[in-house]
Parts: sequence; structure tokens; C-alpha cells
Amino acid sequence: MFPEFVDTRPLRRAVDDALNWVVANWGGAFEAAARPLLGLLNAIQFALLATPWWVIIALVTLAAWLATRQWKLPAIVFAALIFLGVMDLWEDAMITTALMIAATLTAIVVSIPVGVWMSRSLRVRQVITPILDLMQTLPSFVYLIPTVMIFGPGKIPALLATIVYAAPPLVRLTDLGLRSVDPAVIEASRAFGANPGQRLLGVQIPLALPTILAGINQTTMMALAMVVIASMIGAGGLGYQVLQGIGRLEVSRGLFAGLGIVVLAIIFDRVTQSFGKQLQARIGLQEVRI
Amino acid sequence: MKHFWKGTLAAAIIGFAAASMPVQAADETVCGTDRSIDIAEMSWPSAAALARIHAFILENGYGCDVEVVSGDTVPTSSSMLSRGSPAIAPELWTSSIEKQWTEAINEGKVVKLSDAITDGTLEGWFIPRYVQEAHPDLKSVADVIAHPELFPDPEDPTEGRLYSCPPGWACEISTSALFEAYDMAEAGWNLFSPGSGGALDASIARAFLRNEPILFYYWGPTSILGKYDAVPLDMGPVDAEIYACNTNPDCDQPSRKTAYPSSPAIVGAAAWVPEDAPVVADYFAKVGLTNDEISALLVYGDENKADAAATAENFLRERKDVWTTWVPDDVAAKVEASLG
Repeated sequence: MFPEFVDTRPLRRAVDDALNWVVANWGGAFEAAARPLLGLLNAIQFALLATPWWVIIALVTLAAWLATRQWKLPAIVFAALIFLGVMDLWEDAMITTALMIAATLTAIVVSIPVGVWMSRSLRVRQVITPILDLMQTLPSFVYLIPTVMIFGPGKIPALLATIVYAAPPLVRLTDLGLRSVDPAVIEASRAFGANPGQRLLGVQIPLALPTILAGINQTTMMALAMVVIASMIGAGGLGYQVLQGIGRLEVSRGLFAGLGIVVLAIIFDRVTQSFGKQLQARIGLQEVRI
Repeated sequence: MKHFWKGTLAAAIIGFAAASMPVQAADETVCGTDRSIDIAEMSWPSAAALARIHAFILENGYGCDVEVVSGDTVPTSSSMLSRGSPAIAPELWTSSIEKQWTEAINEGKVVKLSDAITDGTLEGWFIPRYVQEAHPDLKSVADVIAHPELFPDPEDPTEGRLYSCPPGWACEISTSALFEAYDMAEAGWNLFSPGSGGALDASIARAFLRNEPILFYYWGPTSILGKYDAVPLDMGPVDAEIYACNTNPDCDQPSRKTAYPSSPAIVGAAAWVPEDAPVVADYFAKVGLTNDEISALLVYGDENKADAAATAENFLRERKDVWTTWVPDDVAAKVEASLG
């Protein structure tokens, strides 16, 4: 056993007291600050639930066709959506999708600028990389319970936890994509007199777009992976069905809801990937390997 | 022939009593068995602390060979009735395993040594005391249901929110049934599932820290009820039949109102314990604690960040008045000596 040098209990108590103080004095302010996020999530969820199921199936299948111009993927997507409906998972699947879309949108807004900043400064990169490692490896429950205490239970902490877990790959891949742009191309754009803003928006980002899209794809997948954990703090949706299945030993309920999550993942993964490939083909680049 | 059998039986009983007599009558109380007594330490804090308390007393007071093994209601009870190990479960809630447990008792595989919680367990809907002080008319569930505006749902402030039980727990079904029976959706309430025990605790802690109103399902004895001053709402009389129907998914009758029945938490033991280790069985026959005593025990653990073993040691130091009544004087002296 490691010898006990210091008694850690006062430290632990101090951390707990600090959290309690924050909750007691700032809990309301934090909750109000997160209101816009909740509004975004509720709006997406309302739109998804208010749209008739056949409109959603038609739109998503159309998107799959536009992405591939073949019949294989639309057929798979169509079958997957019908599966969700037949298995009585439609409403839960829409709630889960809303959480995933809201998390992905927020992650895009936050991650791409951070990725750009990282790609421009080695020091920023040295600081942010460990933070990203922390976000991806810290067990979620460690920060979930404090988030519930600070923001109140329900969708807000679930959304924040999902963003924390899902944003890092997009930051990393944005950074990687921008750094991998051929220096000769940058040099050429500079020679033509492009200012830094023009270089970034007109040259670097378009060339890095396939990598960034791969990052967005990763982010959607990570967001779906958090669905069950998000349900443990009151997010509802498919994850909640899985939890109920586990708790009541109803293997079937857990299995079907779990398959529902897989189905959502397949739809979003294949469709976004196909769009990415199409884009790469248009830009005329080889597939970027990560 | 008949007399002969009766005679031998009587002789056997006397013989058995005589054999166990010396243990009782000797100056020193000893364990009386070579078998290792394995005590199940359940995953929730009160059972874990109780396991540590009993393990300490048996090991240091009686000189038993004690082992603490981790467990949970279903795995521990099934292993106890199939293999006779763990020997002791110091806080076993039999309501969730009622059928198997009753069968096993009838087959003589397990025994109930005593009630772990003497004044019964507590389960129901709670509001903070400061809310009741501000609104003294909030006494029963019906009073609270009439005022959803006092307990607003942060995600939809026009409605009230009832914090239910985590998914998959038996209380989730019973709470949802009561939500229906009281027509709470009509009265402007949302049933909110916190998703996990940790999130439910965090929600309650947040409300109490911020002096906010909250209506929540909870049970005791727990550190939450020990730490935060919550008052149970009057839910009317318990009707076991209605409760059974409410919690049974196959019962087609509509949900009806009832209070939560007090579920028994017992000291369960494998059948060999009273036979091979009567001294240990005798000890466990007296070890019941009240709700308040257990909650106080848990609050110490919670506030001092102490693990189950440290919580148990503190109990043994601080509550001599309680535990010394469980054991003979010489055992009490030995336990005190080993506490240092």
C-alpha cells in the first residue's frame, strides 16, 4: 500500500463544499445561461415530432439518394426508418435524434473555430490537446452528477455532457485538415495577394473540408454513443428504453432500443459519409486517411 | 416403539442443548464454529456499513473467522440459497425477491435471523420542510397536487414536476401508477424520470442547497433523508392488493391510490448458520436498528467522506449505548479494546 502522506479528506470536503457553494449561489444563473441551448434542442425536437413520419422518411431517403445517386443506400435508409416505426420506437428515436443534432450543431459552432485557432499556433495546440484528451477519457459520470447539480436535471446537462464527449474529434480533425493543406498552395495564394482571412476561407477550409466532414461524421457518432449515458440524467429517448430494459431484465426492450440506436447511427454515418465522398470527388482529392 | 422414538428425540434435543451449553456458560464467549462467516456487503451505503459493523464485532469480539464479500440483492440471495454462501446478508430487502425467498425459507435453505430495520422502512413522496413551513396546508398528496405552481418544472414552468424513480426500479412502476391514479397529468403535473439514482440524488441536493421547492419520490433509511430535512406526505392507508396490482404490468385494472407498503429489510442467513454457529445466530437476532439510527450513521459517512469500514468504526465508537446491548459484556470489552 502507498503510505499515507496527507489526509485527503479535507481536500475532498473542500471540493464538495465549493460545488455546493456554486450550486447555492450560481445555480440559477448557470441554468439561465444554458436556456438558449435548451431552446435549440426543444425547437429541433418539436419540429421532428410535429413533422409526419412519412415526410421524414421521404426526406431522409431523398437525402440518401442525393448523396449517392444509387438505389442501394436509400433502400437501406428506408428499411431502417421503417424498422424504427414498426418497432414502436419512432418517438424515442426522434427525441434521440434531436439531442444528437443539437449536440452536433453546437459542437460544430464551438469546435471549428477552436480547430482553426489550434492549427495556427503551436502553443494553443499544446494547451488544448491535453484538454481534449481529458474530455474524451474522463468517465462521464464524474462530471455528469456535478452538471446535474449546477444546471438541474434534464436535457441541459444531457446536452452538455454529449457536447463534451462529441466535440474533441471535430476539433482534432479540423486542426489536422488545416495543417495538411499543401504549403505550396498556401504559398501560391499568398503570391496572388490573398489576405489571411481570404486564405483561410477561400483556400484552407475548402481544401480541408473532407477532413472536417470526417470530423463531423465522428461527432455525430460520438453523440449517439452518449445517448444511453445522457438518458441516465433525464434526457429520455432510446437510451431511456435501454435503461428500462436493463433495470427490469427485459432483454427484448433493451435489445430493440439498442438496435434502434444502431439504426440511427447507420443512417447518419452512411449519409454524411456519402456526402463527404461526393464532395471529395468534386474537389478532386484522394480520400483523406486519418 | 412410539415412546422409544420420543425418548431418543428428547435425548437428542437435550444432548444438543447440552453440547451448545458450554459455549454459553463459559466465562469467555467464543465464535463456536470453524467455518468462515462470509458477510455480504451490498452496494448501497447502509447495508455496506452494517456489514462492516457486524464483521468488526464478530471478528474482534467473538474471534470468528470473518470475510466481507461484495454483493447485491439478487446475486447474494441466489448464491445464499444455492450454495449457503455468503452466510449472512445484514440488510436484505426481500420484497423484490419475495417468491424465491419464501420458497427457500420453506425448503429450509435460508433463515431470517431478525429485522435489520426495526421500525420498518420508509417509502413515499417528500417535500422539503421549508416548503411545508411556508405553506402549512401542504400535508397530504392531495394538498400538493392542488398546487402544481409551487413545484414548477424548469423545462415547462407552467406545469409542476414530480421527480420519479430511476428507470427499471420497482418504484418506477408504482410511482407512475400513482401518478395516474391521482390524475396528476390532468392537474398540471409532469412525471419526470431522473434516469439514475445518482441524478435523483443530485436533483434533490440541488433543490435543498438552493432552498427551492421539490416534490420527489424517496425511500429510507438513506443518507439523503438523514442529511436533508424532508417531510413525507400523507398518502393515506396502505392497500396491499392495490399496490400489488399497480406494480404488476399484467394487472388490467386501472391504477388506484394507495400508500407504499413498508418493505421488510431483514438479516438473512444461510440455514447452516443457526445450526453450526448458534452464537453468531444469537448475536444477529438482536442487531436491529431504527431508521433514524441508520440515517445518522450514513450522514457521518457522507459528511466525512468515510468509506463503509470507517463509518462502521465511528458507529462502534460513538454509539456504545446501542451495540453493547447486542453482545455479552466480555465481547463488548474485547471490541472496545480493539477499537483502541
